[in-house]
Amino acid sequence: MYQLLAVAAYIVYTVFSLRLLWHFLIWVRASHANRGVFRFKLSTSFNTVLLMAIDLISFRRVMIASGPLWVGSLIFHLSFLLVSLGHLRYFTDPVPACIQDLQPLGLIAGYLLPASVIWLLSIRTLSVKHRYLTWHNYLILGLVLCISTGGLLLRTVFRTDLVAIKSFAYGLLTLQPALLQDAYLFALHFALVLILVLILPSHIFSAPLIIMEARRREQELRMVMHDR
Amino acid sequence: MTADKTEDQTAGSFTENLSMLQMIELDACTQCRECLNVCPVQEVTGNPAVSPPEKIRMFREFIKATAGLKSRFLKPKEIDRKLLEDFTKAVFECTTCGACGKHCTVGIFTQRLWPFLRKEMISRGLVDFKILTDMPEAIRNTGNPYNLPAEDRYHPWLPAGITIAEQSELAYYAGCTGAYTAQPMVKGDVSVLNAIGDPFTMLKEEDEVCCGFPLFISGQHDMLEDLTRRLVTSYQAKGVKTLICSCPCCVNIMTREWPVFYGKELPFRIMHITQFVLNALKQGKIRITAGLKTRLIYHDPCYLSRGVGVIEEPREILRSIPGVQLLEFERHGLNSRCCGAGGAVRKVYHENAMAMGRLAIDEAVAKKADRLVLSCPACYGKVNEAMVGHDKQIPIVDIMELIAGLLERKQI
Ligand code: SF4
Ligand code: SF4
Repeated sequence: MYQLLAVAAYIVYTVFSLRLLWHFLIWVRASHANRGVFRFKLSTSFNTVLLMAIDLISFRRVMIASGPLWVGSLIFHLSFLLVSLGHLRYFTDPVPACIQDLQPLGLIAGYLLPASVIWLLSIRTLSVKHRYLTWHNYLILGLVLCISTGGLLLRTVFRTDLVAIKSFAYGLLTLQPALLQDAYLFALHFALVLILVLILPSHIFSAPLIIMEARRREQELRMVMHDR
Repeated sequence: MTADKTEDQTAGSFTENLSMLQMIELDACTQCRECLNVCPVQEVTGNPAVSPPEKIRMFREFIKATAGLKSRFLKPKEIDRKLLEDFTKAVFECTTCGACGKHCTVGIFTQRLWPFLRKEMISRGLVDFKILTDMPEAIRNTGNPYNLPAEDRYHPWLPAGITIAEQSELAYYAGCTGAYTAQPMVKGDVSVLNAIGDPFTMLKEEDEVCCGFPLFISGQHDMLEDLTRRLVTSYQAKGVKTLICSCPCCVNIMTREWPVFYGKELPFRIMHITQFVLNALKQGKIRITAGLKTRLIYHDPCYLSRGVGVIEEPREILRSIPGVQLLEFERHGLNSRCCGAGGAVRKVYHENAMAMGRLAIDEAVAKKADRLVLSCPACYGKVNEAMVGHDKQIPIVDIMELIAGLLERKQI
């Protein structure tokens, strides 16, 4: 069964990379004639770059749209990032100091992640104003809830042999996946992660670019008709 | 319809009209639907099928079906014609007001994206709004999208006694909608310019052709380079350094798109009339002497506020009128709500446009304003039309029409 998981991981990794590459190729093949919005590109000042970064990190645009949604989204994305970074310890040997230092935060994020998913799902199903979620977004949130809860259980209730898991994960990276015995919950956790990677929405790559571009455009608006 | 024609419409690449940035924007929509809360079309139709995320989702499907990874290995899918028709309807029902982009949680520049999605549908021959598809021919024949005689462009409203210089560093562009359909507005413009006293020039009636905005907004871009070059060269020949215009749509295309079609920066600057008039007030070239004990409410045109960021100047002018109390709509400035006149919707989805216009009227009346001040010829026409037969009434005035009546030229 673990060989199967390993093969699945390689397939998912290949499909994911191909999908990403294809996406990028479609972007590159877009029209070069229609470039109006780039007119003032050179005027991007340090101040604007700073504001672009703040917008990206703080999810300012979501905050303006809805406070409760902002709280949920910010905690969701931040804890997702921390948990993902924390997992790098399974894929590195020796584990870099910065990843080790992140572990206490990663632990807290491990609890916050499922909590934020529940918060987001509640807003999206109970609030009259925000009652809406595409089936794809339901699927993603559902998967993240299962994965993060599974991860928590693996850490607290059904403690697993971490050394064995690390050999398996690190082995995947070095193309020599090690055997793993009786870690059924981990197998489920891992399989769900593979499914998540397969259906990961591509906006996680494109939205950050657009958030920054939007801030640049907002700054630029003052210059369209006013003295530059 | 022949099989070939149908295939032309439903197959082939959907990415040719979009820039890389727009492709990334399409990808970036998280389908969160927060923008639905500010969309005026949603407000009057309540139909999520014509909402921004739905349009984006559909267009992504088209790209995926024709250029996606699967379509490369298997046979590219032909897109269901019904889906294309639904999309075309949705993208033309939009007023291109840009409120969705302003409130978008990732910041998609929808005001500029929608015209390019329309362009794709136009190029596939899927748009059968004759009133829109007839425009290029009308502009070719008469210089304006209304197909009205070029020789009637100025004389019905240009007041006698206004001096138009042959050559000048300052020029005024009236625009087709103002000149043919909102004449009190352009009449007010030239009266105020005349009172300021700086010599200004205008092109001959047959030379002041359409700025290209109605073609741009409806996705018919073939003539735009030619129109831009014609106008820019004509103004250049008159030695123009500043071009003044009051129509937000014209101002928008002049500042944002003309440089693209012209291929470089324009040889003159563009100013909205409120900017020029405010400067003149500050420099003491004109004075508003007559008082007006009244409550005014100012509506921000989408293409002036969200489009080019002219928000404060009209307000400063109105506040400088002695006795005026200036009220604000709940949504104003960058957050203003479209009156329904934008994006050529007033021509093809008349009922929606009327309903949106009436929302503006209702709010102005509820706020107990005495007059509703506009500064866009399209808004002027549409809100006046929406008033007909409506249970709530409020006098409408264009900002320069109002100012023209209150000026005293200072002798300097
Ligand atoms: S541009 Fe305006 S009308 Fe069009 S979808 Fe966006 S908010 Fe709605
Ligand atoms: S707010 Fe922006 S990201 Fe959200 S659905 Fe609307 S267009 Fe898409």
